[in-house]
Amino acid sequence: MFYKLLLDTSDQYLSIGVAEENKLIYEKSFEAWQRQSELLVPEIVLALNSLKITLKDIKEIVIGKGPGSYTGVRIAMTFAKTLSTVTDIKIKAISSLAILGRADENFVSLINARSKRSYIAIYSQGNCLLKDQILPNEKVLEIIKEYHEKGFKIYGNTTYLNIPNDGQKIIEGLLTFANITKVEEDILSLKPIYLKDTL
Amino acid sequence: MEETLHLKSADETLNLASSLIKYLPIPSIITLNGNLGAGKTIFAKGLAKGLNIKQDVTSPTFNILKCYFDGNVPFYHIDAYRLEDSQNKDIGLEEVIDGNGICVIEWPNYIKEIIFDDLNIDIQIISLNERVFTFKSENKKYEQVFTYLEGLKNVL
Repeated sequence: MFYKLLLDTSDQYLSIGVAEENKLIYEKSFEAWQRQSELLVPEIVLALNSLKITLKDIKEIVIGKGPGSYTGVRIAMTFAKTLSTVTDIKIKAISSLAILGRADENFVSLINARSKRSYIAIYSQGNCLLKDQILPNEKVLEIIKEYHEKGFKIYGNTTYLNIPNDGQKIIEGLLTFANITKVEEDILSLKPIYLKDTL
Repeated sequence: MEETLHLKSADETLNLASSLIKYLPIPSIITLNGNLGAGKTIFAKGLAKGLNIKQDVTSPTFNILKCYFDGNVPFYHIDAYRLEDSQNKDIGLEEVIDGNGICVIEWPNYIKEIIFDDLNIDIQIISLNERVFTFKSENKKYEQVFTYLEGLKNVL
């Protein structure tokens, strides 16, 4: 049997999923800011135990690679790279903005970058219309308005912008985008995306 | 908004900071300006006391950031002194500044790009024990602090 482990820690959440081929058989996502690194491994053990499988059954690990929290973008990636180094598990790394929605949807993704800025990207049917970037919130609000009128969903926690949103997918996002993402060939040079070098 | 207070000892600084906690919203960002020895760290200790933090609060000059989670709300203490001219400012400090608790920042000018909506406190040294505190903020969320300080001035 072909199992995939789906992991994302890039913002405030710790999200873990397990898929059998393309069928999601385990999913758990909760707010864990500043506790992600302490909870990640125990939560994975919990997931594998409850499914009565072991790491040996995992053939592929799919992770969010950022942008997001400074520490967050490094946690799932470090775990995946370590695992991939000591086993033959393959890695797929996907934008953490992309995985806020499903690959078959049209959506604007948002993550609070603080200092009155946001990480933003726009995806449509798996294609990237606006590549992941960091923009001032005034500009972000203009983009949201434009695409909301076109019927795009708004994904991510947008309470800091005082606007409503359509939730966030993360685990379904990891699963659906994994199908259109290549396996990383060069694990050693795989790096998280932080996007901030602006000070 | 602006308010000035004349304090006569380190104990008065400690007590003032401690009593301010009641009037601070979450998140609060407090920036402290003042020369070495002005009492910036004493002020931070006072805030921690007001939050019922039991750990000893010491200057994070070496560490840059210290986090305290044993009080009523998370307390973050930043000393940006070592970030002057640094190429390594991008270390995620904005996540605790614009975060879920009270963040106090010494030497804020070195990271001013990531500080918004702060309550600024300038400490002037008058003599060995005396200090003049000037509180300033443009943000309405600190209104209660200024109302409290105004009342305090009439008592002192």
